[in-house]
Amino acid sequence: MEHLIIGNGIAGVCAAEAIRRLDPSAGITMIGDEDTLPYSRPMISMVLEGVLGEERLPVRSAGFYQQMGIKPVLGKRAVAVDIEGRRVEVEGCPPIAFDRLLIASGADPRRLEVEGSGLENIFYMRTKKDVRRMLAALPRARKALVLGGGLVGFKAAYGLLRRGLQVSMLITSDYPLAMQVDREAGGMILEKLVSRGLDVRTAISVEAFNGRGTVSGARLSDGSRLECDLVVVGKGVRPALSFLPAGVEKDLGVMVDQHLETSIKGIFAAGDAAECVDLARQKRWVNAIWPEAAAQGRIAGMNMAGRKVTYPGSLSRNVMRIFDLDVMTIGMVNPDPEDRNVQVLRHHDPVRGTYRKFVLRDDVLSGAMLINNIQQGGLFLSLIQNRTRLPLDPQKLLEPGFNPGRLRP
Amino acid sequence: MKQVVVHPERCLGCMQCMAACAVAHSRSGQLYTALAERPLPRPRIHVGAGLYQEGFPNRCRHCDPAPCMLACLAGAIWREQETSTVFIDPDKCINCASCAMACPYGVIRFHQDPMAPPGKTVAVKCDNCDQRRARGLVPACVEVCKSGALTYEEMDEAMRRKTAAVARSVSAGAETSGIPAAIDLLMTVKKARLSL
Repeated sequence: MEHLIIGNGIAGVCAAEAIRRLDPSAGITMIGDEDTLPYSRPMISMVLEGVLGEERLPVRSAGFYQQMGIKPVLGKRAVAVDIEGRRVEVEGCPPIAFDRLLIASGADPRRLEVEGSGLENIFYMRTKKDVRRMLAALPRARKALVLGGGLVGFKAAYGLLRRGLQVSMLITSDYPLAMQVDREAGGMILEKLVSRGLDVRTAISVEAFNGRGTVSGARLSDGSRLECDLVVVGKGVRPALSFLPAGVEKDLGVMVDQHLETSIKGIFAAGDAAECVDLARQKRWVNAIWPEAAAQGRIAGMNMAGRKVTYPGSLSRNVMRIFDLDVMTIGMVNPDPEDRNVQVLRHHDPVRGTYRKFVLRDDVLSGAMLINNIQQGGLFLSLIQNRTRLPLDPQKLLEPGFNPGRLRP
Repeated sequence: MKQVVVHPERCLGCMQCMAACAVAHSRSGQLYTALAERPLPRPRIHVGAGLYQEGFPNRCRHCDPAPCMLACLAGAIWREQETSTVFIDPDKCINCASCAMACPYGVIRFHQDPMAPPGKTVAVKCDNCDQRRARGLVPACVEVCKSGALTYEEMDEAMRRKTAAVARSVSAGAETSGIPAAIDLLMTVKKARLSL
């Protein structure tokens, strides 16, 4: 059996490992457009910040491909899939045949479509190479502009601040991390950022960049101008599916069933490129996050190797430490206020500096947000993932001493 | 291979396992001197209060597959195959709390540790007392547990014992639950207090 994996990220790696565990003799080929060992994308911001060297990024050892009996085809992009002929065309080498194919091609940053967005020193922070280029631009940079109040924007702003740059952050919504947290928590985070010297502007966006070759300023939606010599765009990602043939059903991502198989038998998808059911929202959604990519890769790999296992669905979640504020969000934290089946519980403890919010739908937990005291957050994740009917009064979840012992029957 | 088995129905909530664990993971290995150490050694087993204030000793289950290992961004979490113990490498850990978000039992803590690089906050959890076991000792929490809530035994053996206990409890004329009378009484008192 010949397995072909498009993508050298964590989904592809976990899939390859799962295949190898179940089938020692299977042929496995991995195509990756970055010519490097699989590495931790979420950690590249730490290289920007300067706390880690690039050598710390790989998540597998140098002998990974050889030990696992994987044929790596690196530094090359897949350009087309021939569904009938069961082969993938790759730039600069002969087509590769497969019996089972995994699309784990990940996602690319959403491009900014404004005047001047092609100028030098406007970066998208997605790969090792992006950060390398940012580092090269740092010595001549003074004032940085970060677009987007999401995770990438945050990490970029934090890293640049630590590098001694003056950083302005522009957020389209009226509080940061609007996709992850609610207004109250957003306010707490905003306050923290401002107190640490970050210039945050909400409900504003960029209309154009100017500069001679290199960016030197921006015109904002309120008509004002802002000087800047380095820009980081963090406007989210889109599945990287340029090679996908028309026969494979897709929405935003490639549609997969509970075995992570696409509409074409023998072709699977996992990670940022795959779209499955979101457990909290109970509808199709792309959750482009590391832990889901790892989990999906593993399940897809097992199915490819012939073990029929199911994947119940994905769940959005994130944890970040913003200075001394720990923020964890899981599932749906901003439910539709009109939805009558939803119950929201929250507790803000200004003395302990904690904030907890839980969203329940039909007595099943579907969202949790914690600020500080996040150590037991995984417990809530598993309650949401397993759609557990709570064996106790949900108010008890808000207590600071809540522990798994309270869930015993 | 022997493992630590938890019997929560026997836990009195005395927290001696927590103290013993902290001492076992201190530099000096002695309670008196451990108290003066910086960073202060901390436990990797956590006794919480259940619904009627009964104790609940919560420690890493060394799950397989381990959700924390799959979620680790830095590749810092690994399994020692021979003992099936899940370890966190403090040098590689980046203190991102992704493991805390993945752990269904909430047993990972973040602090400085005598075994970690000085001044670095890292993820810390049970290591099955591998240093003690290397010296032929049983895990510290088990050694100190007086009520039998923590035992160190072959899993098969523990399962057989439990199955036998269940079988006995359903036969005609069965009276004992297998739990010592004093512990049973304490639990009953705690439950009664809640219902009052």
